[in-house]
Amino acid sequence: MSRKPSFGRREVLKTTGAALAAGTVAGCLGGGGGGGGGGDRVPMDITEWPPEDFSSNLNMMNWYDSWAEWAMEEFGNEYDVEVTNEGFSSPDQWYSRLQAGNTEIDNIAATTNWVERSINNDFLHELPVDVMPAWQNVTENIKEASSYQQDGSTYAIPEALVLYPLTYNTDHFDSAPESWGVLWDESLEGEIMMWDNSTVSCQIAAMYTGQDPISPSDFGEIEEVLKQQKPLLRTYWGDYEQGMQLFVNEDVVAGPLTMGRTYTARFSEGAPVNYTAPSEGAMFTSDLFVIPKGAPNPITSLLFTNWASEKPNAAQLFETMGYKPGVDIQSELSEQDREFTTWPSDWNLVFSETLSDDVRSRYDEIWTAVKAA
Amino acid sequence: MGTETEARTPSGSSTRLTELVDFFRTRPRLKKFAIAGPPYGVLVAFFALPLLAMLVISFQEGQINGPWTLSNYTDFLGSATYLTVVWRTFLVTVQVTVLVTVVGYTLAYSIVRFSRRTTLLLLLVILPFWTSYIIRMYAWINILQSGGVLDSTLQLVGLPAVGLLYTQPAVMIGFTYVWLPLAVLPFYASLTNMDADLIEAAKDLGAGPIKTFFTVTLPMTKNGVITGVILVFIPTFGSFITPRLLGGTNNIMIGMVIENQFKSAFNWPFGAAIGIVISAVVVALLVAGARSGGNLFGGGERDRS
Repeated sequence: MSRKPSFGRREVLKTTGAALAAGTVAGCLGGGGGGGGGGDRVPMDITEWPPEDFSSNLNMMNWYDSWAEWAMEEFGNEYDVEVTNEGFSSPDQWYSRLQAGNTEIDNIAATTNWVERSINNDFLHELPVDVMPAWQNVTENIKEASSYQQDGSTYAIPEALVLYPLTYNTDHFDSAPESWGVLWDESLEGEIMMWDNSTVSCQIAAMYTGQDPISPSDFGEIEEVLKQQKPLLRTYWGDYEQGMQLFVNEDVVAGPLTMGRTYTARFSEGAPVNYTAPSEGAMFTSDLFVIPKGAPNPITSLLFTNWASEKPNAAQLFETMGYKPGVDIQSELSEQDREFTTWPSDWNLVFSETLSDDVRSRYDEIWTAVKAA
Repeated sequence: MGTETEARTPSGSSTRLTELVDFFRTRPRLKKFAIAGPPYGVLVAFFALPLLAMLVISFQEGQINGPWTLSNYTDFLGSATYLTVVWRTFLVTVQVTVLVTVVGYTLAYSIVRFSRRTTLLLLLVILPFWTSYIIRMYAWINILQSGGVLDSTLQLVGLPAVGLLYTQPAVMIGFTYVWLPLAVLPFYASLTNMDADLIEAAKDLGAGPIKTFFTVTLPMTKNGVITGVILVFIPTFGSFITPRLLGGTNNIMIGMVIENQFKSAFNWPFGAAIGIVISAVVVALLVAGARSGGNLFGGGERDRS
């Protein structure tokens, strides 16, 4: 089967595209177009940048709440656009609205697997990336490591890379645990946790048992080790905030958590935590900006998508949320942040490809059986 | 200012209203339809049709508009794992319903019989509804977690910390807290409408407090009790947020499995099939419960006549 390439930081850096000056676009555009400008056009109608006319409203659905709050004000002031944002906790919240026939949402921070589903169901506008200046800012390997293109058309712009690492308490561990086996360590009974997510947890078990997490060969072994692990766990966490608080309160010393929540726990909550990719590997995916069909302000949404991929604005995403942007922002970061966001080149990172129906179904059955055991 | 004749003549609108009333008076079937039609229309549009859509989807394979199949039902009903989850869900639901009923009835009884500030107390009962469900659950996390409000309070009075979070009692506490208002309100309504003289009469006839309660108070308020039980039982059976946030590794409920089919497994037809089966089970249980409830509480007026 085909596989997206795994990659490390070094490859990301060396293939970083040349960035265009962030202020160029802003200077050319001036005030908002107002009125209905843009409402009857689609993004692919834009052949020159910046767009000559765009509406004065933008309705986002973005789950990077803190960054979205900042972006609403910054982008709104810069382009004289009134921006609203509706947060969400699960992609099905926006996906079901696209299924119902979108008439409200202009811009979504979507996740790779859901973007693929949206493309397959013809829910998304194609984007004129060749005329979007900030497209150059997106690193080449990140472009390759996301599934948002079909038949030569591009339907999304990578917003951030989302790593599913092993997060650990730095007071408890002298150095980063080298194996997912730490989550099966009986001496840590009651101090470790797993994610209440069938795919993530089964993939961790697959990697722990030396299997391919995308296409495992022995589902029985995955189920068995997850059942063995269960008595050792403090809990299965089901909500990102809950997962983070387990580390902040030092209820647990190791478990899977996102890079962004680890960043927040460490730098906003002062928790002694860090993250690592164990030797067996760690999964990652990407979040992407998409413009759904039916968007009332598609041109303004396109403008925003470009703006969000400008380096300072992408850097702000990292500083507020802790997720690695799709844009190379190393030069924009403090030493502390640069250290946190640097992924060693020897890390074995595996792109979280969309699972086959069979594997997804088996993972779901295993996870239900493990929780019911 | 009009003339006297004009003042006595019905206005155009009142004439039309009178004609409309006469129109419906002579057509009783149409009158019933005009009155009952809108609510039935709402029920059909927002409850029956979505349920029908769910039923149709549940017979499709893998995705909406997939090939027709019975496999979603056979997979679910033929799986010991899923049936175990249903059984556990049922047990938790019964426990929660009993707990909420006992606590809620006691609370409603004390409000009706022993309190003066009933409005204030009822307001306090429904006050939690003004806050988001999720936020209420996070409040309980802060209370129940190790070193949280509960542990700190216990240690303050010289008792050991219990660290209830991520345990079965934590789930029961969470459920009891969120569903209590749903039970208290119908209990309160039935207790208020009960003739208090009947209690005095029972006592005059020699019945003690417990006998009076079980032979007079409880049977007289059984409709309110059944309503409260139904209002608690149904949402508990389908819950997934409370056990996920407060429960540990052994608190899976069928609502969590259904949620997973839609959010993670992407198998909406299978989730729909589970939903249909669970809905049927819940309805059957409620019908059985309502029927047995009548006998349980000594029968209704029909039995006595």
